[in-house]
Amino acid sequence: MNALRRQDLWQRLREAALVEGDMPEPDAASAPWYVRAMLGAAGWIGALFLLGFVGAGFVWVMESASASFVVGALTCAGATAIFRLRAEGDFAAQFGMAVSLAGQAMMVFGLAQWFERSLTGMALAVALQQGLLFVLVPNFIHRCWTSWTAASAAALALAGAGLPGFVPAALTAALVWIWLSEFDQAERGALLRAGGYGMALAAVQSTMLHGELWALWILGRGTHGALGGETALWLGRLASGAVLVWAVLRLLRREGVPLQDSRARVALGGAALLALISLRAPGVGPAVAILVIGHANGNRVLAGLGILSLLGYLANYYYSLQATLLVKSALLASAGIALLAARLAMRRWWPEAPEVQRA
Amino acid sequence: MARARDFILDWAAQGRIPPHGVRRALEYSGALPGAADWRAFLDRLLLWLGVAMLASGVVFFLAYNWQELGRFAKFALVEGLIVASLAVVWWQGLEHAGGKAALLGAALVVGALLAFIGQTYQTGADTFELFAVWAGAILPWALVGRFPALWVLWLALVNLSVTLYFRAFGGVLGIVFGPERQLWLLFALNTAATALWEALAAAGVAWLRERWAVRVLATASGACVTALAVLQIVDWEPGSDWAAPAWMAWLALAYFAYRNAIKDVYVLAGGALSVIVVAATFLGKHMLKAQADAGAFLLIGVVVIGLSAAAGYWLKRVASEMERT
Repeated sequence: MNALRRQDLWQRLREAALVEGDMPEPDAASAPWYVRAMLGAAGWIGALFLLGFVGAGFVWVMESASASFVVGALTCAGATAIFRLRAEGDFAAQFGMAVSLAGQAMMVFGLAQWFERSLTGMALAVALQQGLLFVLVPNFIHRCWTSWTAASAAALALAGAGLPGFVPAALTAALVWIWLSEFDQAERGALLRAGGYGMALAAVQSTMLHGELWALWILGRGTHGALGGETALWLGRLASGAVLVWAVLRLLRREGVPLQDSRARVALGGAALLALISLRAPGVGPAVAILVIGHANGNRVLAGLGILSLLGYLANYYYSLQATLLVKSALLASAGIALLAARLAMRRWWPEAPEVQRA
Repeated sequence: MARARDFILDWAAQGRIPPHGVRRALEYSGALPGAADWRAFLDRLLLWLGVAMLASGVVFFLAYNWQELGRFAKFALVEGLIVASLAVVWWQGLEHAGGKAALLGAALVVGALLAFIGQTYQTGADTFELFAVWAGAILPWALVGRFPALWVLWLALVNLSVTLYFRAFGGVLGIVFGPERQLWLLFALNTAATALWEALAAAGVAWLRERWAVRVLATASGACVTALAVLQIVDWEPGSDWAAPAWMAWLALAYFAYRNAIKDVYVLAGGALSVIVVAATFLGKHMLKAQADAGAFLLIGVVVIGLSAAAGYWLKRVASEMERT
């Protein structure tokens, strides 16, 4: 069934003079998601045993921070070599993944002991380490993992430095930037996508946890420990709303829609309304930004992640301490009514076209 | 449309589509939204987001005032919610997604109602009774509704009540024998459900054909039998010796059913993972003695990696073979 659709699509593209020649053979290596998930789970089990091997056989490695880091680095170098030399083989991919994970764990263990007192320092070091691995190791799943951990570590560093409120905005901005350049750099598509998915996971995580609870949970201190106090918090919320507006602006530019166009005004109006809502419910901006970018790229997974982060944020909002449930319910209700009113307004300002036109 | 996007991006990565042509190819094949799609998207986004926020606002308001509401007001609210959902079901009809979602919602609220009754009147019932009664209450709806999600909910409730029953009535022996007996019962239940579902689906009941639901059941069945095998290996308690043969029988059955008759690679992947877990447990039990032996760890690690690579290779081959036919 898929082979038929493939053939059909190639044929149509050829008729439109977008491609030429014969259809390339389908890549046999791309597997369904559950097979990849199974391989990922098994890779982890293997890595645990390898770590046990190091722990049992080389106890002295675990006792010394430098030894742990150096051995970990060598292990990761070995894994990188495996991936680069035998990129296609299944066994090599599995072995490399397990070895690399064990090496990363050892390096983080060493870093944790070095940076005992500074969370920011350690987080930055881990981010750098994972970023380097992202660039060096060409495997897709490995890249998703390294980009996710790198983004999360960078976010932790930002939070540790005293700016937890800006984390969702920063991660979402990076996400928007990556995904909007997906089609411009098609030859590096796999790298961009892996990085994009990793960033998306980190952004979803931070959006769902937006608010004081996250800072309390991870850093063990409330918002009073943050730089700039209340002002910084408000700026963080402003940033969360602004990132949505920025995403819409960049999208309009990519689609070639001039800003004077009524459709552009409607889109920006909607984004501004949601940014306003984000001033009080800061998770809404980033979540809708992820959803919009996912839809713009025809990527259902990304759009789904956007919806997920929105629902997760609503659940988190219930528990947030910034206002009583009464105030929050009033905010939500008025936001809901505003959005529905905006929808009615949109139907007037952007009427349905009599025939379907492609932009 | 999602498929077209994947194909085109694959071809672009292979260099068969020039870089400047990727965007045009995607638009041409309809993988990217056009102006009309965007308008519809914005329309739906504003609608759903607006409704969700309004509804959340109402829920938050009720939560705020919960303590002050009288007993009857609370009952009226919960029961009113069920009645409203059923009204939506009647209005939309069970063929539409809206009707199905409303019935599922009503089924969930029934649980809340039962919990509320138990809490208000201090019936002293055990937790498993709540889930058992809940399952019994929604059984007629599941029969009438005829859609997979509701049946999956029903089975989840039955599973929960069985698990909690053994927790409640275990006693001293329960702590020792409990996990195994409970797992056997759950295994029997979920495997029977999976078999029945597949048989009915194959016999022609169209609404049972959604794969995700029966995959969930098969996962539950596989998880139970894997846990049983692991428990036997680890010698958790003087249980029966039937776990290992049952596990192997399950694997054989799953292989024959899902490789040849019903072609679903998902269950085969689950079976492969089960084999890896049991093999790792078996080797771990027999090779790792009192002081952890480094060589044993390394060997087991390599075995796990080798097994998973082999499994991955086999599964990919089977998947592409099934796709071709």
